Amino acid sequence: MRDFLLESCWFIPLYGLIGAVLTLPWSVGIVTKTGPRPAAYFNLLMTVLAFVHGSIAFIHTWNQEPQQLILPWLQVADLNLPLEIEISQVNLGAMELVTGISLLGQLFALGYLEKDWSLARFYGLMGFFEGALAGIAISDSLFLSYGLLEMLTLSTYLLVGFWYAQPLVVTAARDAFLTKRVGDIILLMGIVALSSYGEGLTFSQLESWATSVTLPPVTATLLGLALIAGPTGKCAQFPLNLWLDEAMEGPNPASIMRNSVVVAAGAYVLIKLHPALTLSPVALHVLVIIGAVTAVGSSLMAIAQIDIKRTLSHSTSAYLGLVFVAVGQSHVDVALMLLLTHAVAKALLFMTAGSIISTTQNQNITEMGGLWSRMPATTTAFLVGTAGLVSLLPLGTFWAMRRWVNGFWEMPWWLLTILLFVNAMSALNLTRVFRLVFLGEPQQKTRRAPEAPWPMAVPMVSLSVVVFLVPLMLQQWQLLLSWTGPWAASGRLGIQIETPLLVLSGFLGVVLGLSIDLSRRWVRPAAKVLRFLQDLFAYDFYIDRLYRLTVVWAVDTFAKITSWFDRYVVDGLVNLVGIAAIFGGQALKYSVSGQSQAYLLTIIIGIGLLFLLMMGWQ
Amino acid sequence: MLSVLIWVPLIGAAIVAWWPGEISSLHLRRVTLAITVGLLVWNIAIVTQFNPDLDGMQLSEYVPWIEQIGFNYQVGIDGISLPMVCLNSLLTVVAIYSSDRHIDRPRLYYALLLLINFGVTGTFLAQDLLLFFLFYELELIPLYFLIAIWGGERRAYAATKFLLYTALSGILVLASFLGVVWFSGAATFGYEPLREAVLPLGTQIILLSGLLVAFGIKIPFFPFHTWLPDAHVEASTPISVLLAGVLLKMGTYGLLRFGLGLFPEAWQVLAPWLATWAAVSALYGALAAISQKDMKKVVAYSSIAHMAFILLAFAAATPLSLVASVCQMVSHGLISGLLFLLVGVVGKKTGTRDVDQLRGLLNPERGLPLIGSLMILGAMASAGIPGMVGFIAEFMLFRGSFPVFPVQTLLCMVGTGLTAVYFLLMINKVFFGRLSERVENLPRVYWSDRLPAVALAIAVVIFGLQPNWLVRWSEHNTNSLMLGARRSQNIGLVNQVNQTMTLPMANSGVIDN
Repeated sequence: MRDFLLESCWFIPLYGLIGAVLTLPWSVGIVTKTGPRPAAYFNLLMTVLAFVHGSIAFIHTWNQEPQQLILPWLQVADLNLPLEIEISQVNLGAMELVTGISLLGQLFALGYLEKDWSLARFYGLMGFFEGALAGIAISDSLFLSYGLLEMLTLSTYLLVGFWYAQPLVVTAARDAFLTKRVGDIILLMGIVALSSYGEGLTFSQLESWATSVTLPPVTATLLGLALIAGPTGKCAQFPLNLWLDEAMEGPNPASIMRNSVVVAAGAYVLIKLHPALTLSPVALHVLVIIGAVTAVGSSLMAIAQIDIKRTLSHSTSAYLGLVFVAVGQSHVDVALMLLLTHAVAKALLFMTAGSIISTTQNQNITEMGGLWSRMPATTTAFLVGTAGLVSLLPLGTFWAMRRWVNGFWEMPWWLLTILLFVNAMSALNLTRVFRLVFLGEPQQKTRRAPEAPWPMAVPMVSLSVVVFLVPLMLQQWQLLLSWTGPWAASGRLGIQIETPLLVLSGFLGVVLGLSIDLSRRWVRPAAKVLRFLQDLFAYDFYIDRLYRLTVVWAVDTFAKITSWFDRYVVDGLVNLVGIAAIFGGQALKYSVSGQSQAYLLTIIIGIGLLFLLMMGWQ
Repeated sequence: MLSVLIWVPLIGAAIVAWWPGEISSLHLRRVTLAITVGLLVWNIAIVTQFNPDLDGMQLSEYVPWIEQIGFNYQVGIDGISLPMVCLNSLLTVVAIYSSDRHIDRPRLYYALLLLINFGVTGTFLAQDLLLFFLFYELELIPLYFLIAIWGGERRAYAATKFLLYTALSGILVLASFLGVVWFSGAATFGYEPLREAVLPLGTQIILLSGLLVAFGIKIPFFPFHTWLPDAHVEASTPISVLLAGVLLKMGTYGLLRFGLGLFPEAWQVLAPWLATWAAVSALYGALAAISQKDMKKVVAYSSIAHMAFILLAFAAATPLSLVASVCQMVSHGLISGLLFLLVGVVGKKTGTRDVDQLRGLLNPERGLPLIGSLMILGAMASAGIPGMVGFIAEFMLFRGSFPVFPVQTLLCMVGTGLTAVYFLLMINKVFFGRLSERVENLPRVYWSDRLPAVALAIAVVIFGLQPNWLVRWSEHNTNSLMLGARRSQNIGLVNQVNQTMTLPMANSGVIDN
């Protein structure tokens, strides 16, 4: 039984897909009598099955060597594409995280989307989402991971576009798909190249290949850059970062998934690709730069947002930026830990956002206030989520960052600065949001807000508990730095200032957040510099204009030129030939005069010409 | 067995056209449908008879015809033509099923459809150059009438343009074929004997250029493509499905069978140019598609872009790329068929295909939600999202071509990225947003409107999940075409890259000169 459950791990992603297929009768409209609820229950059931199956398998992987399952798929000419799956602690742990958050998110959706007419479609898409994510968690092949990442792109498009009648949703869905697609296509180019050069596409094969091969530096660099392009799009990193912000137009339960595990999927693949990336130092540098720019930039963007979901989504980009930096610095374990702790805390924060939105029907935080007494569970959950995300109290992210700053390596000063900055900004932002939403006088839209109904409260409270449990889990899995670890022997024990600095930065952020003047109304600062900065951050550094002036402009112009060329030059030429032929025929018509002399003359001239031609030829 | 496939449609056409007495449109439709479904079943029987591990033609039939000039009725099937013939049967059924129930002049209409089936099947099965040419030309006439009689407003212009272009294509095919026979001094138009013939390189290049232009018009490649958008826009939906799904494949099939098969040395010389041509054509089609306003034109230009990938695969001529090219033909046939069907439904129900006029058609109550969902599926399949047949075909294709022509392959991949752009823009405009007032009271969509699209969508997904069912037929035969191409290495025209790609079996199986 135990072995069976372990061996059949590969089936877990299929639960989600089966759930998705089972919703079809409702979403297509074949079954209308029952309402869409049964579809939701099917999906929940499937996710519970996936979670339970995964949990049992996860427990059994304990102290076991990683196993590889190979499912043959396609073998043609010199191309062999099996689907490899690795059953290891990390992989199954990631899958547990995915199915767990998916389960809570779907339960949450039961309350959040209670009155939505297309509940069945939503659950179908969530099942699809979950299946793809779970697949990425256990996949051991770049090819399979790529396929699943693309499925994520597709389902993100459909989930963001869930309320497709709203104008903002239309552009958001389009941008989400196209931005990710840019990254994906470049990644696909990388995969095609890797598959042509290398021996196989499993991550372990790539690793051994990367250590043995010598590529020209330019090729290696291009390959490395192509491989990081995909995750850059998926994780909403600069310059492919804006989609995540826009994607907040979608339904909240999907945002819970998207901001916690979906963005993490890209980083997860990146972490697995890390051995292949070491081929190219440039790619690793680029990774660090992209991550650092995004971390700093998104932190700044977050503090100027007034949409509750957008304040949180920019912070997602920032934390994923840190993960990118960690991978670029080859601190892979830190990257994994950050992903885990961030995912749990961010999922909780998004649940509270969902709960607030559903009871106040409002996303603008400047119109909120005084919710603490009306929504105590939500308030608590928000505080817990904040504590989990900011390195101040010894909850999740604190331990991940502490491992980073107190690891076995020398911490470069700039990295420490970025880390402290992101932490402080994150604390400031969340404190600001907390003050605006929960403290202060209740306003019109928050005066009669009730606490969230139980389908939303239960997952929220459960996840709060999980956030508290994260440090224990980390300890259980021996991911924490032991106090007697190698760094203790490094002689740097006396000068450990990084950890206090980390806490201090968090504290500073909270203090700043408490002290700044948050006027209730949307008042613009009078000083020109401040006003400029506020606009700069609030409009995401005008990156959308950058897109519009570069990529969008280029494609649009080329398309217009091509279209013009097609219409007037290519087709014009064809039509010209046609008209010339007709016109020639019409004109020749008038040479028919009926005079035999004229005919004779024509014949003689013609024969003469032919004769000359033949003479010339010979 | 094969002759049944060729001649039954002709007999069917005769029956439909001249059956005595009054017969209603619905009855004619049923009769035609029965004939084509029968053919599809027959086709499946052939698939079961077919052994993918054998070299050369199977189920061959040979009847002497005009022996004085070496022209014989000679048909056979191999792993390259088998998928094409099946695709043809399937899409003919789909086209007839999705034809208007109360169409004008039903006798002529259904007879012409059957005639097309006759011509196309013959083209894919002919093993004699002259026979191929006859069938290739024969399919023009019914198609001309189908566009010119049942087409849209500018049908006369479009049909004439189509006829002139493809007639030119036919002339060039004939000229090249005559040239091959003339210069090789062969006593027959049979395909296999001509493959053995050795021609000087210069002659080969001239003859191949003729074929390239000829099939380049048919497929079509830039700059010979302008007949296609016009023809598609004016043709009715079933005809568009056939045109994009099957008729364009005659060009690529001809190019593979005769271009690569008869002129391997010249092919290697021209290959870099062909790959560049493919990249230009792919990008051109994709860019042109972005700024189209008519949904049918978007799909038509997308066809141009996707067919260009096949030329890239031919140019690379690695074992993988050739298998992939056959897959891409089938995949494009299914996907473009699906897209044209859906655009047809949208056009029929709303009365317009202009992307600026349509909006919000996903509306669940008054819009076309299922058609919209299928459209998203079709667009995603065309854009190469995994899980559908478009992805795996294109992945194999790019993977097979990359070692030989890396730059051109990457450019083509940019083209596939642009696919997402134009289809997404179209879907966003037409299906997302608030339903526009113009299309508020739409006629009902019946399941009979959806059924063919659903069937094609299922095929797209199934082959995407299980590509083995598609790949296994052609691998052996495309490899033997490769052997023909490799023959040139013995002569001394060694292509550096291909040499490194040489498989061990090349030594044992090379045709002896």
